[in-house]
Amino acid sequence: MFEEYDDYRKQIREFGLKEFTDEVAAKYDRGEEYPDYLRKKSLSLGIVDMQNPAKILIAIEELCRIDAGLGISVTTPYFGAEVLMLFGNDKQKEFLNDVYSGKYVLGLGVTEASGGSDVAHIKTTATKKGDKYILNGSKMFITNGAIADYLVVLARTSDEDKPHHGLSTFLLNTKLNGFKANKLTGKLGVRATNTAELTFDNIELSSEDLIGEEGKGFYYIMTFFNISRIYVAAQGLGIAEGAFDKILEYVKANEIKDENTMFEIADVATRIEATKELTYNAASYLFKFEPRPQLTSMAKAYAGETAVYASEKAMEILGANSLEENVERIFRNAKIMEIWEGTSEVEKLVISRFILKGE
Amino acid sequence: MSNLNEENNILRDTVREFCEKNLDEKKIEEEKIDNNINSLLASQGFMGAKISSKYGGSELDDISYHIILEEFSKYSPSIAMKIFMINSLYLPSVINTEYESYLQDVSSGKMNVSVDFMNNKYKLEYGNNINGTVENILNTDSENIVLFDGKTTIVNGPFKTREKDFMGFKGLKFGSIELNNKYNVIDKNSRKEKIMEDSYNDLSAIALGIISGAVDKAMDYSRVRTVFGAYLKNYEPLVFRLSEMYSKENILRSILYSNLDKYYTFNFAMNSIVEIARFSVNTHGGYGYFKDFGVEKFYRDAIILKSVFYGNSELKQLSNHVYSEKLTFI
Repeated sequence: MFEEYDDYRKQIREFGLKEFTDEVAAKYDRGEEYPDYLRKKSLSLGIVDMQNPAKILIAIEELCRIDAGLGISVTTPYFGAEVLMLFGNDKQKEFLNDVYSGKYVLGLGVTEASGGSDVAHIKTTATKKGDKYILNGSKMFITNGAIADYLVVLARTSDEDKPHHGLSTFLLNTKLNGFKANKLTGKLGVRATNTAELTFDNIELSSEDLIGEEGKGFYYIMTFFNISRIYVAAQGLGIAEGAFDKILEYVKANEIKDENTMFEIADVATRIEATKELTYNAASYLFKFEPRPQLTSMAKAYAGETAVYASEKAMEILGANSLEENVERIFRNAKIMEIWEGTSEVEKLVISRFILKGE
Repeated sequence: MSNLNEENNILRDTVREFCEKNLDEKKIEEEKIDNNINSLLASQGFMGAKISSKYGGSELDDISYHIILEEFSKYSPSIAMKIFMINSLYLPSVINTEYESYLQDVSSGKMNVSVDFMNNKYKLEYGNNINGTVENILNTDSENIVLFDGKTTIVNGPFKTREKDFMGFKGLKFGSIELNNKYNVIDKNSRKEKIMEDSYNDLSAIALGIISGAVDKAMDYSRVRTVFGAYLKNYEPLVFRLSEMYSKENILRSILYSNLDKYYTFNFAMNSIVEIARFSVNTHGGYGYFKDFGVEKFYRDAIILKSVFYGNSELKQLSNHVYSEKLTFI
């Protein structure tokens, strides 16, 4: 699947191997610093092509295979773009060109401290006042939160009987008065990525900042997650492949031939192959505009678990040699795959609900 | 725990109280174990837990020693690892040698020591001095170090060290040591294999502490965290798994303190530790991924413990023990 992009895959890998050296990856990991120069470089070389979802998928997989901290940093400055692409007005869609060109960094503000996966119960409000909305509240664990120029933000615009009703999405300029971002540090992994806690204090938004229709925010965000989860699956797949690369390198270099290790290699390889099939299969439906959310969730959950599984196996097989940074970093990076964009538990609920509905 | 008596329970309470009163586990992870902590641990007899009283040690029995390791590990696995290195690795390395007297300064916290248990292949040259680099050493700020280069060698510092970031047991300094130092061969044979095999229950006690800390944090969080309008403790899949893990914790404690069989116990501990520490992170969601919640450290330390101390060699030892013969594998 996606064989037509083999040359592109090769180009991405060459870029990653050249730029994501161990020294660079270790530096940004240790310093918990966002590598903005790599974002700009990848754009100038046309590495990330947001107009082609298959290319995004491949770029994410290949770059995360080399280093997930840097790979995710380079491929998430557009995070939330699909909401604007699908539901935004003409001006907002036009704005995306500035995001794709690298002029602006975008982010998505959905998660709140009170409940990561519980989107319907968010507490941030956008109260209508004349032709304006007044935004108040806070967001937690927001990727690009402290570096984004704009954020797609989910807020409650009305109280309804069903909590997922009455939510709306806005495009927020982070230069507006009342916006504050507090960079969060001390993450286990993907430390080159920027994560922040945001506060909104009486931020005035115009009606033009509203994305799509008022009250449809929950639907927009769920639609977005059904797309973005395939990219998280690609992150997990890439991490697992990167861990497997380290296993093979070590086993070959040390001429390890015991049967137990051979079985471990076979198990990791099998899980990676299954992850790849699941991910590419779900992506193929999505990219034909025939999304199958249960397949996307299967891919995301399984890829996350495979990333963790492969990285733990890499640590175990390499033993004390795993203490070299480039292996232990893979292990630390992998864990977030089971958590963000919907924990594995939430994905399992999505999968079973769709199956029981007969879809 | 039926095998523990009143004295054991008092010791457990004492260690807990000591940790809560004197140690800041986040500070230990960030700033390392310093001389003040060393002195404090020594003054309470923890540093020389197994060392003979003639060298100022506490000369504790195995159960008491394991209680100490478990309780420290639950609070700060780095402290437990330090105590383990002294009592389970250094002590049997120097016992019955002329260096046994070093134990006096070790138990009093005056001398920091290390044992290289991570390296299998050395490229060292032996002349008047020992020369070469030893990578991946825990406790690089040591005054002397024991190496197992086919034999058992003690090397006296000071050492030229290069510190590196280390994912696990962050309270201990880690890195490489460049040797151009005086040395003495303690034993013409390497004592490593026997020392490691004898330490299975000690390592299981550290694992138990990590498991217990991870399970406690996850269960506490499940009681206070609400999601989708209900407490986490009201969700079947999560609570079923946490309960299974709590059961495993108690099985491990039971087999460890009943001294069932060190091979079985160690195997059970190593097969449980990573899964449980990982699930504790999962239970905390995004918060689990940040150091502030004090749960990701259990996951880091769990994988290091398993990766470094448990592999094919240990599985072979288990199999030999189970089959009661030295098996030959194709």
